[in-house]
Amino acid sequence: MMSQVNKTKAPVIPSLLAGYKPLPGIADEMIDPAGAVRPGWETLLHALDEIGPEKLATRFARANQYLLDAGVFYRIYDETGTQERQWPLAHIPLLINQEDWDTITAGLTQRADLLEDIVSDIYGEGKLVRDGVLPPDLIASNPEFLHPVAGIKPASGRFLHFCAFELGRAPNGQWWVLGDRTQAPSGAGFALENRVATTRALSDISASMNVHRLAGFFKDFRDSMQSLVTDPQARAAILTPGPNNETYFEHAYIARYLGFMLLEGDDLTVAKGRVMVRTVSGLKPVDVLWRRMDGAYMDPLELKSDSWIGTPGMVGALRRRSVSLVNAIGSGILETRALLAFLPAISKALHERDLALPSIATWWCGQEKERKHVMDRFDQMMVGPALSTRLPFEDEQATVLGSNLDPEARSELLARLQNDGRGLVGQEAVKLSTTPVYVDGKLEPRPFVLRVFAARHKDGWSFMPGGFARVGFTLDTAAIAMQRGGQAADVWITSKGPVAKDTLLPREDDVFQRNVPGTLPARAAENLLWMGRYIERAEGTARILRACHARFAEAPNQELPLLTEMRAYLKPLGVDLDQAVPKGLQRSIDGAMLSAGRIRDRFSPDGWLALHDLSKTVHRFSDVVSPGDDTTRAMTIILRKLAGFSGLVHENMYRFTGWRFLEIGRRIERGIQMASMLARLARHDAAEGSLEMLLEIGDSVMTHRRQYSVYSGRISILDLLALDPLNPRSIIFQLDALKTEFSLLPTREMGRNKPAGMQMFSKDVLRLHTQLAISEPHELTPETLHKVAYDIGALADAISETYFA
Amino acid sequence: MLYNIRLHLHYDYARSAAAGRHHVRVMPQTLPGVQRVIASSLSFDPVSAERSEFIDFFSNSVTSIVYRNPHETLDVNMTARVNVMRPPVMLDVSPDIAGLRKEIRSVWSIAADAPHHFLASSKYAAIDPDITAYAALSLTSTRTVTEAVSDLNRRIHADFKYDGAATDVRTNARQAFDLKAGVCQDFSHVMIAGLRGLGIPAGYVSGFLRTIPAPGKERLEGADAMHAWVRAWCGREAGWLEFDPTNNMAASNDHITIGCGRDYADVSPIVGVLKTSGSQEGKQSVDVIPLE
Repeated sequence: MMSQVNKTKAPVIPSLLAGYKPLPGIADEMIDPAGAVRPGWETLLHALDEIGPEKLATRFARANQYLLDAGVFYRIYDETGTQERQWPLAHIPLLINQEDWDTITAGLTQRADLLEDIVSDIYGEGKLVRDGVLPPDLIASNPEFLHPVAGIKPASGRFLHFCAFELGRAPNGQWWVLGDRTQAPSGAGFALENRVATTRALSDISASMNVHRLAGFFKDFRDSMQSLVTDPQARAAILTPGPNNETYFEHAYIARYLGFMLLEGDDLTVAKGRVMVRTVSGLKPVDVLWRRMDGAYMDPLELKSDSWIGTPGMVGALRRRSVSLVNAIGSGILETRALLAFLPAISKALHERDLALPSIATWWCGQEKERKHVMDRFDQMMVGPALSTRLPFEDEQATVLGSNLDPEARSELLARLQNDGRGLVGQEAVKLSTTPVYVDGKLEPRPFVLRVFAARHKDGWSFMPGGFARVGFTLDTAAIAMQRGGQAADVWITSKGPVAKDTLLPREDDVFQRNVPGTLPARAAENLLWMGRYIERAEGTARILRACHARFAEAPNQELPLLTEMRAYLKPLGVDLDQAVPKGLQRSIDGAMLSAGRIRDRFSPDGWLALHDLSKTVHRFSDVVSPGDDTTRAMTIILRKLAGFSGLVHENMYRFTGWRFLEIGRRIERGIQMASMLARLARHDAAEGSLEMLLEIGDSVMTHRRQYSVYSGRISILDLLALDPLNPRSIIFQLDALKTEFSLLPTREMGRNKPAGMQMFSKDVLRLHTQLAISEPHELTPETLHKVAYDIGALADAISETYFA
Repeated sequence: MLYNIRLHLHYDYARSAAAGRHHVRVMPQTLPGVQRVIASSLSFDPVSAERSEFIDFFSNSVTSIVYRNPHETLDVNMTARVNVMRPPVMLDVSPDIAGLRKEIRSVWSIAADAPHHFLASSKYAAIDPDITAYAALSLTSTRTVTEAVSDLNRRIHADFKYDGAATDVRTNARQAFDLKAGVCQDFSHVMIAGLRGLGIPAGYVSGFLRTIPAPGKERLEGADAMHAWVRAWCGREAGWLEFDPTNNMAASNDHITIGCGRDYADVSPIVGVLKTSGSQEGKQSVDVIPLE
């Protein structure tokens, strides 16, 4: 009923507006200069009011929980190293109406075309310099000018395929471009996550406000990347610097969202001038790479020789025009700050028109007149390095505001301007417009910059109808950068009419196509195998610890021979039985996390979350749990969580090649552990209680009782834990599983002279399996069992030599 | 002057290299007005799995080779017959240092030989206040840029000790400057850094030098070495002039050019990415045999 009243009896002032005061001389997105609420915002405010502060808090918490569950994080760097931080979502979206948006995208379309022509001229003809439009120093001395790629024409015919633009709004309401991002712009995936999270909180509102959806943009970009693939055998992929990169989460997220392989430089090799990915099925060609690393790192042979993340020979492949890059190596030069000063003249020279969307006013101080202007208006200028590629307000070390300087620094900088103006630019100190953030139940204005994304398709550029707004925590414009505690907000482009409902899912009339398997990168396979091993090792260790500590608890003051035995067994595994939660167990789980972290794109958010939870639990326990009963209970919890994770993997993971490697890792580890444990505990002269312990660790107490109720003892236990093909803990069960999985692995030729046929490791597992299958329990001496453990380990080596080398 | 040139590079890997990819820059090229290559050949042992050629940004000829099979050694053999005919030294037509700055600004080009590429710091020849101060002394007693460059060339030869043990291929200008010692590569890097500090565009030339045996002595087989010297841009009229600080001379018909770049990194005889866990050791032998 309330909403009825609001609609008819305008103007009711939304209570959220109380106390909201835009800053004098600065534009505000929500309140116009006359003090009225701008269209669109009114609807939003009334809707928020109606929800009320308590329910709003619940809704915002839901959005945060989503981000946490999805594992959205970013990395920050400080003195203590790097840390992962939770994603700082500002819950109130930034609203931009359709007219404003159309102005922005029209201006940016023109700009993107201009940038393409500039970069193609810089690395091609050099006409802009020859005609005196662009000073040669800005290129020849520019670290972003990569000499080895000069003269190379991109295979796709274009340098730029995906760009981002940083925008701000001036006090007069005009949008400005603060910077162009052409190197390897990030944020598109985060924008998508912001949208999903914000929708969790405000879906009813966004539905009623005709907010444009984002999926169509990604779909188009995926299709246009795919259209650059010229060889039907070849693929498109995303190239990441790896898990230590600050935006790795986004790389993995986008790879998963778009269905592209996520590769590291090491996954690639160049053969006969072609970029190939090392997969478990051999080398496969790659035609298109969306690179998320700076161009200079792409090839240690021709570019930065100390780059560890590149692919030797990459530039050679570019020279042969056999691979398309999004964007071409060298495109980073367009981010040069001083270039902004020349864009108006270049636009005139190349396209005979003015920039539709101006850049932040910039003067290169290598020119007499411009230098004088900057020195005359020094107090209103941000002065910084001409060749910097950072935004002025993200560059506090090198870029200064004239009016902020003390007299000494001031005269020093003025002298530098006079003597070496060529190295400096002045930019008008920007007063960014503000947008509301929700603080303690109230709205407050904060400055923001808007990042807009553009992707090339065959007829031009398409724009993500939304974006990524970075909002300051305080009124200080310099604090907008995420590294310094800024927040991120979703951006709603509101249409007057209903919007198209695109999704990435195929429509009914799309041609049905099932992707061909067999494209698993070797590195991913290796990480999956190790993750399987670590998880199994953790489980095995936890079982032993539980069994041992239960016995500690029963006889706290006695040193049982069995426990001495177990102490010796665990030692080589790095597990100290006297610690409640030994380092060795923590290491196994950390190892699984590390392996999983390197293949985030192949991992469901649920699986990741389960693993994350497991790791947190183990580390928490390590501080608080004491030996004995307490540990027994703690291990039960850990085992339950491990089972939860395994269940997720087993029930939900598609049986593609990657799953097989994970499964192989688990089976190998379980086989080795069971064989070595039997070798120790099923001896004739094993310590008292060994057999019970074995059954307990082997999770087979009940089975044993049921099957061998008449006769029970060493032999029956050996039969159950080594030779029973129906017991999922027995050695032979692992070999059975390995036999099956091995036969389903892609065939690889091992060297030129060996004929393709049954793989060596398939023969090995068959032999081992047969040997064990025909064994009698009493024949399983400790020596035999040790040999079995060793042979299973050798299977792991054979797999790794065949697929990962 | 007509020469037969032989170069042999030999690398020993402590552990077998599983694979390798190299760029080789050892072939002299025809440079109009400087030298003409009559014939040349380049071979590798073991024979590489892939081989291709390209011309790099600075117009040097590069041979790219790829190995996929394990190998313990790599041998590079280059032979060439080259005729060097440098023009006689011209009248000094270069401006003074202030004039040079203006002339640099009047060159609206980013072509490979444009002076602008050779003004900024580079990996081995970074602008350094101390080297700049040292180089600046050459401005006080001279009038033209060519004179200043020539004076710096002379002073480096006088002030630095030729000592093959003092430095290695990774030594940069600053390190060599502190040692006041080194080989042709180091002398050249110091001079380049100094010239750039003064605003004079300077680059690195790699090549060969004919050594003239002491009177009554035979030329020793393989005793020559690869050589390096400096080129400086001395104004629009004078263009690029070449100086050899190791021998206190302008480049002559005894200097045979392989290529040029901003410093050693642009024209290393061989750069590579090698899959090996061990160290490697290299040897070179050079013969520059005059045929006239």
